[in-house]
Amino acid sequence: MKRLTRVTLTLAAALSCGQALAVTRGGQLVYGRYADSLFLDPVLNDANLDIWILTNLYDTLLQPTTDGKGVQPGLASRYSVSKDGKVMTLTLRSGLKFADGSALTAQDVKWSLDRARRPDAGAWSSSLASISSVTASGSTVTLNLKTPDPTLPAALATFNAAIMPQKLFTAAPGKNDAEKAKAFAEKPVGSGPFVLSEWKRGSYMVLKRNPYYWKKGEDGKALPYLDSVRFEIIPDDNTRILKLQAGELQGAEFIPLSRVAELRSSPRVNMTLFPSTKVNSILMNNRPTLNDGTVNPLSDVKVRQALNYATNKQALIQVVTYGTGKEMKSYMSSTTPLFDASQKGYPYDLARAKSLLAASKFKNGFDVTVLATSGSADDLALLTALQQMWGALGVRLKIEQLDAATKTARYRANDFQMRTAAWTNDINDPSQITSYYALFSNIESVHTGFKSAEIDKLFAQSQQETSRVKRASQYRAIQSLYLNAAPIIYLYETPYPVALAKNVRGFVQIPLGNNIFAGASLEK
Amino acid sequence: MRRGMHSHYVLKRLLQIIPTFLAVMLVVFLLVRLLPGDPASAILGDRATADIVERTNRQLGLDQPLPTQFALFVWNLLQGNLGDSISLKVPVLRLIGERLPVTLFLTVYAAALGLLLAVPLAVLAAVRRNTWVDALIRGVFQVGLSLPVFYVALQLLTLLGARLGWFPIGGYGSGTLGHLYHLFLPALTLGLNLAAVLVRTLRSSVIEVITAEYVEFARAKGLRPRLIMTRHVLRNALIPTVTLLGLNIGALIGGAVITETVFAIPGVGRLMVDAIFGRDYPVIQGLTLTFAVIVSLVFLLTDLIHARLDPRTELS
Amino acid sequence: MTATLTPAAPAAPRARRRWPKPTLLIGLGLLALLLVAALFPAQLAPFSPTEFDYNAILQGPTARHPFGTDNFGRDVLSRVIYGTRIDLQIALFTTLFPFIFGTLLGAVTGYAGRWSDALVGRVADLVVVFPFLVLVIAIVAVLGPGLTNLYVAVSAVGWVSYWRLTRGEVLTQKKAEYAQAGRVLGYSPARILLRHLLPNAVTPAIVYLMTDMSLGILLGASLGYLGLGAQPPTPEWGVMVADGKNFMATAWWISTFPGLALTLAGVTFSLIGDGLADVLRPRT
Repeated sequence: MKRLTRVTLTLAAALSCGQALAVTRGGQLVYGRYADSLFLDPVLNDANLDIWILTNLYDTLLQPTTDGKGVQPGLASRYSVSKDGKVMTLTLRSGLKFADGSALTAQDVKWSLDRARRPDAGAWSSSLASISSVTASGSTVTLNLKTPDPTLPAALATFNAAIMPQKLFTAAPGKNDAEKAKAFAEKPVGSGPFVLSEWKRGSYMVLKRNPYYWKKGEDGKALPYLDSVRFEIIPDDNTRILKLQAGELQGAEFIPLSRVAELRSSPRVNMTLFPSTKVNSILMNNRPTLNDGTVNPLSDVKVRQALNYATNKQALIQVVTYGTGKEMKSYMSSTTPLFDASQKGYPYDLARAKSLLAASKFKNGFDVTVLATSGSADDLALLTALQQMWGALGVRLKIEQLDAATKTARYRANDFQMRTAAWTNDINDPSQITSYYALFSNIESVHTGFKSAEIDKLFAQSQQETSRVKRASQYRAIQSLYLNAAPIIYLYETPYPVALAKNVRGFVQIPLGNNIFAGASLEK
Repeated sequence: MRRGMHSHYVLKRLLQIIPTFLAVMLVVFLLVRLLPGDPASAILGDRATADIVERTNRQLGLDQPLPTQFALFVWNLLQGNLGDSISLKVPVLRLIGERLPVTLFLTVYAAALGLLLAVPLAVLAAVRRNTWVDALIRGVFQVGLSLPVFYVALQLLTLLGARLGWFPIGGYGSGTLGHLYHLFLPALTLGLNLAAVLVRTLRSSVIEVITAEYVEFARAKGLRPRLIMTRHVLRNALIPTVTLLGLNIGALIGGAVITETVFAIPGVGRLMVDAIFGRDYPVIQGLTLTFAVIVSLVFLLTDLIHARLDPRTELS
Repeated sequence: MTATLTPAAPAAPRARRRWPKPTLLIGLGLLALLLVAALFPAQLAPFSPTEFDYNAILQGPTARHPFGTDNFGRDVLSRVIYGTRIDLQIALFTTLFPFIFGTLLGAVTGYAGRWSDALVGRVADLVVVFPFLVLVIAIVAVLGPGLTNLYVAVSAVGWVSYWRLTRGEVLTQKKAEYAQAGRVLGYSPARILLRHLLPNAVTPAIVYLMTDMSLGILLGASLGYLGLGAQPPTPEWGVMVADGKNFMATAWWISTFPGLALTLAGVTFSLIGDGLADVLRPRT
């Protein structure tokens, strides 16, 4: 009940800006980030630090809707798919311009998509892999597909499919694409609502209003409302909050969940929990033996199920997320399209956990080691709580804290028994998380080693299934199969905690994580 | 000591530093490669496939044998090129150029505040030794020295920044005045720490000097107390302080890591920690070299000042 | 944190009483108090330092929990008491090896001089030009976080201060009359060094040892802030202060009481150090 009101409130807050009568234009919004962006190239970047602000600089043909459930028109005012599903035609808006005033043409679109879909172009090219060729004529862009692709609209609304100015990019100094990208990304020009005007790495970044942005605000004039957005880099959580409370910032991201309740009652701050696609789980190594050759109790499905039942999610949600989380019912978040609402998850049931473990080969309990990220208060809170919960089963949990790079290296070598993990979608479609979590062929089902021929088959079908109903039933089956096999410990979903000054309106962090400043304004 | 011998000495010391630098470079080169996890793990995160990792390592030249990598590194270094940051994709030299002045400003500021606090209070404590004034001064600094830097930083920030609003909360500001204003709290945090160390030594040496025979003699001659204090006592008492300050400057630069994090200051300390966690080999290497140069120069400078203050010192 | 190198306080005024000043006695008294807490935590602490109590989360100081409870409902007083052993252990293990190794090395190279002195001097230069904290972070990152690796990292770096202090003293003492006398009497270098020079030359190192002990604890706290310190659920004071920083506005007691414990330990070591300096300094 409590959660329901909160979500409603958040949604209401997000919507109310759309219904406000008069919006104030102008001003600079100063936003505190915990770390700086690294590389502002839409195709070659790797980090959320870039991804989550990129769409302010680079617009895409289609855009994710703010509720994260679908797509809406972007640079393309409409699109259609042929009957056989193998041709997609997009119509560009007229008079589109880049932030330097030069025209954005169908040729730029073709060039950008061709660059993004090259197999050797960054980590994201596979989202456009179904395209066999792109043709441009006038304001029409035609995508010819190898196979029908239900994920393509969502893919075209994703950052890596951003439209870049071909002329400016190719004019950038450098011998090859990678070098040109480095040069261009230092002072990028795109067609998003803002354009980079100043960047002092590790300190601050200023985005200025793009006067040529196509989208209109509610006053009928072009967006954005703000003159500029200034990102201040403030790594320490406390400092970020103090600065916001002192009025030096109008927004601060990544508020520790432990401070949410306190900031809610603060008169100067509007503490907002934006719904996210973030799922927090513990990945288990499902293989019969570990890298060092020892027998791995987690290879027994009964053990994995027992651990899931012995995990008291509601208690964890209180202790780790301070009541802001939500029980995880499927491996994908409830905000992901085609999430199956009938999924049961693993409700806390210690008796059942005990009987499952008694029926397994490890009824006397065992030792298990989990890798945690050092310095993560959330990881520590979670794992110290799990030590106690699983202790009731006779399972002794050992925590091994590693810095992020070491943890990733061990994970990549399948050299772990358990590890903490969080995931957010980059694309508004269930196929991304599924290909990582449930398919062995990609990264060995998030390195759990889990393999299911049935899921593989269903997934392959769903990737070409143009009927949404049929695709939904395929995904229902995948989610049930996965739940039953329990390759992971299902924990909780968490929101994006953002603290805003009271006069900030219309700022949204969408479930994918993108910070959208186009509709943000500073009211009097 | 004659001037000519000074420059001869300086040259000799500078030449001595070169093999140290070479050793530093080799050690740091090997040390970063000993860190578990590689740059690809750090920059690509959890999702990358094996192909992408391999491709990234190849692009970064990390698939080459170590001797080749080291030779290339030294070769580039000789041409004044420290390479590009792996995660930020800009030349390391430029990053250092942007960030080092910030940390140097903070360090000098902190040293100045530290001296400003330490010298008068230490003299006061020495003159009033074994009274409650002495006990209070030493007690307060002792408490300051026993608390973690991030705790002191956060308390100062909360009290003087947020509660009273006297100082901005973090950041670097612009212009010299802006820097002085923005960096006051972080410099005070570091300065307090430094002052706590200096007060102990300085107090002892002031006591030693004021009870020494030549000061008694000056006093007997009827020289004014103020003159005795400045000409004889402070000058002599500052000698060990300068040594101590020099020794601490290196620590201060490296120790700025946590202060820079708490106060959101874009300096090299924070850059170094980020680089270690991000396995950004070129940045770690470039920064270590920079630190080594600065610390060596400070040590040299300390010895020279020492020689000026204390005519008995032999530079050898 | 600043890794501070404090040379010995220069010789204090000559006129000195011979009996220990109250500083040393107070210091030793406080140390006894800490040792009692370190040896008998189970008898002193009202609760387990690791047991959760979901019904008592973030409670302020009460009669039941005089220091309040933390975000898991753990009793802060009990954690502070149990932490004493951990933190005294850190103080000891971060300094013991550097002290023994550095002092002996300083004595030998100071006495023997020549190539041994030059060689160790170069290695020391190498260690000194690396920023201390950064080097420790790098070493801990290589070996993995945890107290044992913290000890290894600090030992690899910490010996230099002791080496310098002792070497300097030995160089001075070597010229002193009694050492020259020993040489005339035909004592072996080892005997002169160990029986005569070292006991006199070790004083600054012992005094510095006390400062170093509280610095060791503070280093643990700084690493805790960066997530590389003691591992949970170990109740270590520095990590407790670091963990409590998010609650400073709402639950000040979580970081304040372990902070006070840190201060108490720092004051204790410092008083003992000052006291020892008085007692041990050779009287002329």
